[in-house]
Amino acid sequence: MRNRMSWIPSALTAAMVVAVSMAVLLAQAPSGRTQAPSGAKKTLPQTTTSTDAAIKASEDAFKKSLELKNYTVPKKPWGEPDLSGVWLTATYTRLQRPQELGDKEFYTEEEAIAEYKKAAESDAEVDPRTVHYDWKEYAMDAWQGGATPNLRTSLIVDPKNGRLPPLTPEAQQRRAAAAAAAKQLDPMLGIKTFGNLYTRCVLGLGALPLVRGGMPGADSAAAAAGVTAEAYFFQSPGYVTIVMQSNNDVRIIPTDNRPHVQSQVRQWLGDSRGHWEGNTLVVESTNFNDPKPATHFLGATDSLSIVERFTRVGPNTMRYQYTVTDPKTWTRPWSVDATMPRVDPSMIYEFACHEQNYGLINVVTGTQIRFREGVRDLRGNGAPE
Amino acid sequence: MRIGWTGLSAFLAAMAIVWAATITSEGQAPAAGRGQAAAPQTAAPAAGRQAAAPRPAAAAQGARTEDGRPNLNGIWQAVNTANWDVEAHQAEAGPHNDIMGAWGAQPAGMGIVEGGAIPYKPEALKKKQDNFKNRMLVKITNDPHRFDTGDPELECFRPGVPRANYMPFPFQIFQNRDQILMVYEYKGAMRTIFMDKHQDAPVDSWMGWSNGRWEGDTLVVDVTGFNGHQWLDRAGNFFSDTAHVVERWTPRGRDHMMYEATIEDPAVYTRPWKISFPIYRRLEANAQLLEFNCVPFVEEMLYTPLGLYNPPNRSSR
Repeated sequence: MRNRMSWIPSALTAAMVVAVSMAVLLAQAPSGRTQAPSGAKKTLPQTTTSTDAAIKASEDAFKKSLELKNYTVPKKPWGEPDLSGVWLTATYTRLQRPQELGDKEFYTEEEAIAEYKKAAESDAEVDPRTVHYDWKEYAMDAWQGGATPNLRTSLIVDPKNGRLPPLTPEAQQRRAAAAAAAKQLDPMLGIKTFGNLYTRCVLGLGALPLVRGGMPGADSAAAAAGVTAEAYFFQSPGYVTIVMQSNNDVRIIPTDNRPHVQSQVRQWLGDSRGHWEGNTLVVESTNFNDPKPATHFLGATDSLSIVERFTRVGPNTMRYQYTVTDPKTWTRPWSVDATMPRVDPSMIYEFACHEQNYGLINVVTGTQIRFREGVRDLRGNGAPE
Repeated sequence: MRIGWTGLSAFLAAMAIVWAATITSEGQAPAAGRGQAAAPQTAAPAAGRQAAAPRPAAAAQGARTEDGRPNLNGIWQAVNTANWDVEAHQAEAGPHNDIMGAWGAQPAGMGIVEGGAIPYKPEALKKKQDNFKNRMLVKITNDPHRFDTGDPELECFRPGVPRANYMPFPFQIFQNRDQILMVYEYKGAMRTIFMDKHQDAPVDSWMGWSNGRWEGDTLVVDVTGFNGHQWLDRAGNFFSDTAHVVERWTPRGRDHMMYEATIEDPAVYTRPWKISFPIYRRLEANAQLLEFNCVPFVEEMLYTPLGLYNPPNRSSR
């Protein structure tokens, strides 16, 4: 049985983290009139209430996507390939290949479906002793959102072993220093040490890169669960704009090959520039900021650069590849090959995270209390790596 | 999340009503953005822009979209001081001029309210005055009382509509036949205007729910579903969760348009009232929305009183 909150040191803290998730959820239904959606009541589709039905549907979608060989990408009226719609970034495929699989790059079709089934079932199952809040109840498990199986054994395709390359000596030192500092934290320290970018509502989950791998080993429990994993692609002449459901993070990507902004302009989501190579949208992002004491994706720094490739390979399937380079963190670039299923409807809801971030207060206050009580291992609770 | 969608309601009847040839007097006068007449005025700047930043899609440049609508794609900005006070106001020292000096001062302005004054009900006028007094009183609680005082802009909350359109930041319009996306540099706030599938707001929100339609060359947007926490400016002008805003965006040339909004809220005003001002295209060849992620800028103010802020001199590790 998988415990969604296994990365949290205590049940108390778990409750507090849950409070954040609730705050994030509540942000969807701001206070004031808490009105029920208008219109007639509709029964939920089976795929959001029954794991079996969802697994069957995902299996069908997966097999259908394998059959598509000669798909012709529809075009926008102004001639560019049509990537518009909402694409799901949730996946059960791990970022890194499990060691025991060695160089096995692909599952057989049967193995892929079995892996998916295993993940979806353990996702649906919760341990009542430690879990205070079950995302399944809110239709936020990845299997409910439309995540599909994958033949790949890991998202990482380069290096060949499907694993992150070794850290640079500089990154190893950074990590050691952060771990040592975490042991000596002043219990009065606050949100910047006990909160993280997500719980502080600075950034949502996974706007760049979009697909980060499923559990276990995802970079946060919420990401692992595929919570709010919708990416809304809005296409207009000369631009592809991505609006994330999570925190409504917006990425505006001009596709006219203009130069990047000057190097002194640094941003949380960097500066994205796109161009078309045939049916593929290629996007290069640089100019990331230096968000100490937090870090970018997997501990990356301001020298990060990400090149993404978006190719619509079926009516409901987007191939999503990306290459990560950060000479201050990894000894070599590494690359991912993933897919994103399209989901309906083509819209996202307001996600006013910071406005109603009630949870942060509880999380940080609670963590300060735990720290004074002698709990020192706050890793995974927002403390820096 | 997707669960919320079960509340799909029928199209608004209004969708069926189309005024095929309604052209407002504003739209007519300069005849801009309307076919041939606009061409001589626009050729020069368009060519200049093209030279500076060639675009693959000619569609980005045209005065009209493929479906014959005015092409609103681009980066726009209002140039007025309504964000300080939508009504006429004089220059004032800022709230902390002891340290902020001229930086924090309020610039004067003629106001954008037609007829000069907002028609508040007496008790609502009192609330507006209290808002002004308490505009910098920030109390972060973990319940909705956090919205009782303080200008939402001060706390980096979403600005709502119409305020987002006259804040001193650019915003970008992305136009499709079925949906129009507006992204505001302030906070990266965004809204989708649904041109095809009209429905009642499925849930209350800061930016409201926008159903749009074309009336001739005017984009008309019905905005409802507000959560009642919005302020119209730093002066404490406000509306409630029963507000209904009707926006009218009318191009008056390739590079500017007139913006009007009628604000109706029987809980707050004695009658509907109107604001109007021009909005200009940002013509810089390298115009681009940059991040204004203000959450980190307000954390010290919000969380220090609760003992939850990590002071910068202790966070460098």
